[in-house]
Amino acid sequence: MRHRGRYGIAPRRVVYGLLGAGVLVFAGFMINQALNTSLVYFILPNEYAQQPSQYQDRRLRLGGLVAPESVRFDDLALQLTFMVTDGIESYPVQHVGAPPELFRENAGVVIEGRFAEGTFVSDNLLIKHSEVYEAPEDGHIDIEALRESLQ
Amino acid sequence: MLSLGVLGSAAVALALALSVYALIAGILGAVRRDARLQTSARLTALAVFLATTTAVVVMQAALLTNDFSVQYVAEHSRIESPTWVKVVTLWAALEGSVLLWAWLLTGYTAVLAVTAPNTILRPWALVVMQGVQIFFLSVVAIAANPFTVLANVPLDGPGANPLLQNHWMMAVHPVLMYLGFVGLTVPFAYAMAALITRRPGTEWMRLTRRWTLLGWGFLTAAIVSGGWWSYEVLGWGGYWAWDPVENVSIMPWFTATAFLHSIQVQERRRMLKAWNLLLIVLTFSLTLLGTFLIRSGVVSSVHAFGDGPVGPFFLAFFVIVTLVSVSLVVWRWDQVRDRADLDAVVSREGAFLGVNVLFLAMTFAVLLGTVFPLFVEATTGARVTVGAPFFDAITLPVWMLVLLLMGVGPLLPWRRAETQTLRSNLLLMGAALVLAIVVAFAFGMRKPYPLLTIGLAGWNLASVGLLLAGAIVPRARITGRSLGEVFGRYAFEQKRRVGSMVVHLGVIVIALGIVGSGGYRVDQQLRLAYGERVPFQSYELQALRPFSEQASGRASVGVEVAVFQDGRQVTVLTPRINRFGTSQMTVPTPSVRYTAGHDLYLALAGAVDPQQDFVIIRAVQSPLITWIWIGGAIIAFGTMFALSPGDRPVRRRVEAEAPAGAEA
Repeated sequence: MRHRGRYGIAPRRVVYGLLGAGVLVFAGFMINQALNTSLVYFILPNEYAQQPSQYQDRRLRLGGLVAPESVRFDDLALQLTFMVTDGIESYPVQHVGAPPELFRENAGVVIEGRFAEGTFVSDNLLIKHSEVYEAPEDGHIDIEALRESLQ
Repeated sequence: MLSLGVLGSAAVALALALSVYALIAGILGAVRRDARLQTSARLTALAVFLATTTAVVVMQAALLTNDFSVQYVAEHSRIESPTWVKVVTLWAALEGSVLLWAWLLTGYTAVLAVTAPNTILRPWALVVMQGVQIFFLSVVAIAANPFTVLANVPLDGPGANPLLQNHWMMAVHPVLMYLGFVGLTVPFAYAMAALITRRPGTEWMRLTRRWTLLGWGFLTAAIVSGGWWSYEVLGWGGYWAWDPVENVSIMPWFTATAFLHSIQVQERRRMLKAWNLLLIVLTFSLTLLGTFLIRSGVVSSVHAFGDGPVGPFFLAFFVIVTLVSVSLVVWRWDQVRDRADLDAVVSREGAFLGVNVLFLAMTFAVLLGTVFPLFVEATTGARVTVGAPFFDAITLPVWMLVLLLMGVGPLLPWRRAETQTLRSNLLLMGAALVLAIVVAFAFGMRKPYPLLTIGLAGWNLASVGLLLAGAIVPRARITGRSLGEVFGRYAFEQKRRVGSMVVHLGVIVIALGIVGSGGYRVDQQLRLAYGERVPFQSYELQALRPFSEQASGRASVGVEVAVFQDGRQVTVLTPRINRFGTSQMTVPTPSVRYTAGHDLYLALAGAVDPQQDFVIIRAVQSPLITWIWIGGAIIAFGTMFALSPGDRPVRRRVEAEAPAGAEA
């Protein structure tokens, strides 16, 4: 005989139901935490300049162009430094490792890392093929086109 | 003028028309119980397959003869490419991939039409297969026709995507993936047939058991081989990055794995009817949703499949399939409602149910992480990506629980466990778990997940040992045969059970490979001056000389690096950068020394400049990573073993049919 409560529901089912709900709430909490800590924002230098505090201590993907005449590579320390720019703002970038094969001035790049005292410290450097976005010749950069090409 | 393009388009159109006829004839034949119409629908399935085969042959002919009047060939092939690249170019881009998918689907339908037992489910299952087929053929015919004829015929094309040309694995991986997706369409079709005919019992899953296992096996092999391709091609020394393309392949795998376990509960206990139906619906619709996500360009992926015109088609079909099949389940709710209840949580079905919940939780989490950027962008306008840490944080603890249940489940009897034996078994397995952790700790391992995984590997090995001992030792004692002989007989009598043990062993092997390579990999950039020996881990690396090579359609620049261990030269690795045809894109191609203990993986970090007296390479040492591929092979073997013909039920029937005393 299966014991049933007043509404025809076995008490064990109620317990399972409550347990299940508890697990769901806990899982939701965990997922929310994990999402919050591992969201990586994609921004351009001028967006950072507007609200630096919002991106403090956050992992970011910073997009932009390699500013002309800013590239230095120390091959003994394997330190690459350059300026990343979107035509409005520029920031210095520090990257440990060699410049990738297609790395050059005016190349579109997406760098991953964090800001530390005004310098972007990167641990991942991706070259975006500039087939979509042609580097500017008159110095004017179309921000929207740049953003699209770096996505 | 009859060109290959026109011929191909005509073959696709014919296949589509025949498929529509087969659908209508199938429905009429099933509704009116008209055997002639049903037979006509079945024979038409063969004709559809012939038509799609013609289309594929025409496409291959166009690729191999460099017929650039066909748009697909003009956009994705190149005269100087080697023959194997031309052959696999069929699935190197969107239009060809959908054609391949449609072709495999028509092939499965044809096989089903010929071999499926004549049950009341068959006509409806074939109707559903035809329905899915019509969708794919329409996509080929309308949205992504690879046979479009060009007015201005170019003299040569750009060639296939360099990343795909770079490794022979690309000839295998996509085909396995589609074979898996298509294989899982068959149980979906039978599930729908079961709902339509009001027979949501176990018949549909018994009839499709092999198809399910086959589809699952292909999907598993596809995922593992895809990981190996990433490892060999992408140059960062890893194999899984939680990229959307990877995520949408693992989600149906999760649900299919859950399905594989939960159908056994229904077969044994007549429970979970609705659950099983919904699981196979979910598996099938996730393959459609996944294709939509990665082919429409709504989520950005490093694999850059690009935004094709087929996105809306897949989205619409996904919505239709989900709505129709869920409504069917609801409509038939009276028949699919479970009447039995779980007797005890500690039982085989309890463990299977638990593992189901875990796999679904992972599916949900991965789906959430994959589409979350879309929500954020829609609501706040910010562009975000969900990083690998999210997926790791969510799935790793769940995987630990899966491994825990994987050890317990097979040892538990159905309905209710006898506590005495269970307790002594768990005690033994727990001892193995602790022992494994202690040994790993003594060897210097301190990270919690790797330690726990190694402990769970011990737990599972003990479990398999207990399972085998429980099955073999008593038989050996009764029959007086040797243990090896009894094991051989047992393995061939219980193919499904022994196959599942082998698959579970493969999972353990993969888990160890992931732990080693994920937890203890060393990744470093090194400046190698030519001639100088630079230490890296237990090795010394010496750049010998730069080289350049020309092969058909490919130009490489690279460096020869001598690898020394204990002062002896063990090998020469040749990391390089490949360039294909006229493409501007370069593909840094790593060079790997595989060993059982760890891999040494070298990739060029920058350009090879003949003016420089040094080269910068990325060196990665990944412990145990080879075992991931070996584990994949073990799983494939176990699946094939379970699928191989001649398991016990068949034998029994033969024995029962023979009259007593009449020796054949």
